[in-house]
Amino acid sequence: MIRLNVNGLRRDIQATGDTPLLYVLRNDLELIGPQFGCGLAQCGACAVLVDGKEVRSCITAVASVADKEITTLEGLPGRWAKQKGLSAADAQSTLHPVQQAWIEEQTPQCGFCQNGMMIKATELLEGNPNPTVAQIKEAFTTSGPSPNLCRCGTYVAIIEAVQHAATIMAKGR
Amino acid sequence: MATMSERPRNVSGAILSRRQFVKAGGALVVGFGLVGPDFLHGETPKTSVLKNSLDPTLLSSWIEVHPDNTVLIRTGKNDFGQGSTFTAYRQIVAEELSLPFEAITTVVQGDTDRTPDGSGAFDFLGRGTPNIRKAAAYTHQALLDLASQRLGVAKDRLSVKDGIVSGSGKSLSYGDLVKDQQLKLTIPVKGDLTSIIGLTIDGNPPMKPVSDYTVIGHSFKNSVIASKVAAKETWATDVRLPGMLHARMVHPKTLGSTLVSAGQVDKSKSPNSRVIVKGNLVGVVAPSEWEAIQAAEQVAGSTKWADWKGLPAHDELYRHLREKGDWASAPVKSSDASKGNVGSAVASSHKKHSASYQLSYMKHAPIGPTMAVADVQPDGMVHIYTHNQNPQALRGEIAMMLRTEPDHVVVHAYPGPGHYGRSNGGNAGAEDEAVLLSQAVGKPVRVQWMRADDMQWSTQSAAAFSDIQIGIDDQGKMQAYQADHYMPAMQDDRPIGAVLAELPTMPAPNVNNDFVTSTINSISDPWVYAPVANVTERGHGTFQVGQKDSPIAVGLRDHSMRTPVQFQQNYPRELAISEAASIAGADALQFRIDHASEERAIGVLKAVRDASGWETRPSPRPNATAAGAAPVRGRGVSLMLRSGTYWACVCQIAVTPETGKIAVEKYTIAVDPGIVINPLQLKRQVEGGAVMGISHALFEEVMFDESGITQDDWLSYPIATMADVPEVKVVLIHNPKVGAYGGGSEAANALAAPAIAAALHDATGKVVRRLPLKPAYVQEALRG
Repeated sequence: MIRLNVNGLRRDIQATGDTPLLYVLRNDLELIGPQFGCGLAQCGACAVLVDGKEVRSCITAVASVADKEITTLEGLPGRWAKQKGLSAADAQSTLHPVQQAWIEEQTPQCGFCQNGMMIKATELLEGNPNPTVAQIKEAFTTSGPSPNLCRCGTYVAIIEAVQHAATIMAKGR
Repeated sequence: MATMSERPRNVSGAILSRRQFVKAGGALVVGFGLVGPDFLHGETPKTSVLKNSLDPTLLSSWIEVHPDNTVLIRTGKNDFGQGSTFTAYRQIVAEELSLPFEAITTVVQGDTDRTPDGSGAFDFLGRGTPNIRKAAAYTHQALLDLASQRLGVAKDRLSVKDGIVSGSGKSLSYGDLVKDQQLKLTIPVKGDLTSIIGLTIDGNPPMKPVSDYTVIGHSFKNSVIASKVAAKETWATDVRLPGMLHARMVHPKTLGSTLVSAGQVDKSKSPNSRVIVKGNLVGVVAPSEWEAIQAAEQVAGSTKWADWKGLPAHDELYRHLREKGDWASAPVKSSDASKGNVGSAVASSHKKHSASYQLSYMKHAPIGPTMAVADVQPDGMVHIYTHNQNPQALRGEIAMMLRTEPDHVVVHAYPGPGHYGRSNGGNAGAEDEAVLLSQAVGKPVRVQWMRADDMQWSTQSAAAFSDIQIGIDDQGKMQAYQADHYMPAMQDDRPIGAVLAELPTMPAPNVNNDFVTSTINSISDPWVYAPVANVTERGHGTFQVGQKDSPIAVGLRDHSMRTPVQFQQNYPRELAISEAASIAGADALQFRIDHASEERAIGVLKAVRDASGWETRPSPRPNATAAGAAPVRGRGVSLMLRSGTYWACVCQIAVTPETGKIAVEKYTIAVDPGIVINPLQLKRQVEGGAVMGISHALFEEVMFDESGITQDDWLSYPIATMADVPEVKVVLIHNPKVGAYGGGSEAANALAAPAIAAALHDATGKVVRRLPLKPAYVQEALRG
């Protein structure tokens, strides 16, 4: 048995330690935000935060993250609520600023890659609250194991949404 | 208080009947009948009705108007990120019914047993009159008819605002009109449900005048975006059925391999896994996904296949196509624009341009590899859960494979990764394999292709080449244009699992196949330079490469991809026009204006000129150079008409001659679709198409050896990243006097390639007539 800390909850799982985290999240824990894109850490569709860092869950053995704090797309609102000390009621009704911005800017098209895009944006903005366009491009292209790929070509909308999210975060909610 | 209705009435070509009064609830249900007004004369429907589709003779629905003034709509089309069903369709229905956008509360799409019309996730706006618009227009007329009766006011003296019908000082809401009644409206429909284009609503109900629009033209948000962003949407990838097994496929070693022997599962490592073999189809199932992956890898390693080397070498592709393509097997198709005598006009011209252009195979390359869940039940019913652009067509293909009727197949549609046309003819891969594996094990099976399967076993956009000649008179005007476009069949809709399992499918592309799956290559790029006196455009088609030589009839299977066939014809045309302008000593953009007659074509050219800061001068630029380590800058333009929409694009690039590397620095595009339904959604679509187009132009090329495709991941088949994105400027031209909506959501991808290639010429003075403009090809061409 492996004990995970996912989105602030302890979850005990039966999978073997070499099982990629992605399959545990999707099949055992029913956390469906991360998607299977390549299984090779080449696209970013499966990204999650591990101790605040963007990690590709498709090649991450579940045993290697047993004692770490895992955040999936589902956990972004709770992460934000905790960081801002929101009341339980407010936390229930508040999406993470990155998610709010993604909706307001109408960023996704098919949306399949956007889990990883929002995870990457959260990692970026937690370390750099006011990134330039060059810094955004650097984050989504060279900072991770591979560029975060979007086949629908929503990169322009993603840049605008990251900037919008920075504004929402600066306002504090 | 149930009573029978009065006689059915004809309302604008639709048949309205009130079947009974009911105690509570009630709804106006707009069903569809297949004979329309003939219904009045007692004739029977001529087109069969499939069980598990909405029955046109019963209360099957396109649109339901509810007593609480909300409306539900159904469409066979599936959203793949275009957003049209959730935004434009809602706006169109709200507009025709004079309701607020928010009143259209529910959109049911795609599922074969819950939608009426079939067809694919393309051409959402249907050249201005999608089915849903006519359904709404018929509904509006029926509601007016009912209100007229109830209020005792003539129909032409009624008006509607926000769902309230008023006239002569009296008013009623739509909800009041339908409350406590069961109403049925029968409308005329034609077509074939499981064909690629599905059913079409017939007749001409009165439509709302464009000048009265209040909902269309506003940037309403796409409701499904919010649920996807919040991880609340159920994707096809999320479907889990009780007892379901996970599967991975072991696809053949080559595109022509037959199975010699399937490997065995190592039970010490994968105790719960099982190999399923049917013909040349090999799959591995297991209760856990990770075990299925590992077992399939192990089985693949010990499975033996016959070798096959039936494809041309990659660097021989265009020679192979030109010299060995069976071009005489399909009739040559000339365009409607062909006129005059090009031969003599070219011969007598002052200056001539003659060149050949090549365009690579490209992958659809969805971010998620294709997948499906199938459940073949003991009673023979087949349920498929998948992301699919044409569920009704898939249903027909699966029924054919199983030698059963479409009645026994239900396709449940869910969101999935965009795949840009790959499944618009029914299948994307994996659906048929999931069905066959489920049938074999008697349990639901989820087949998930791995990245390599999707790169090597999916279809691709066909390679093509074109020969173009242009004659220019002594005034610097084009007096003759001739294009011969050569392309293997662009659409193979045979499900690959059925082919491998040697089960029934439609025939491989051949000259006798219907329409898109034929080998005939029609001219798909409308001519926009009407003043040119002599024009010949010819399409030449043939079989897919390797198709006839593969023992399993596979080869390089092709499938339409975003702006299909037109991209393959517009790229050579537009690059050649830019070259002709250069030969004439003219500015490439002004040259197009001077050769266009359509006001909207000139409009998009002028708009893109202004928005891009275009400097009017001939190409190449002064001081153009094809040598050196310093970047050289250039710009190019392209023009296209597609589905009633005019597009013009300017790309400004920097190219480093020494390395051949091109960076697009600024991309400007002007779009005139007629009526702009939703400016924000259209802008986002165009931006996405722009980026995909840059990716096609600079990076994308399917690589293969004599046995099959050699790319298996994102490193070997790179696409554009955020770092490749230039400044993108989209100019939307709202042109209500056109009176219709043109297709806006897909075509932007085609505009970049000819504009970038022309910009490369502008910067360097050299023309590279081959896509993609990869550094190695550009470098070689600049040195040559």
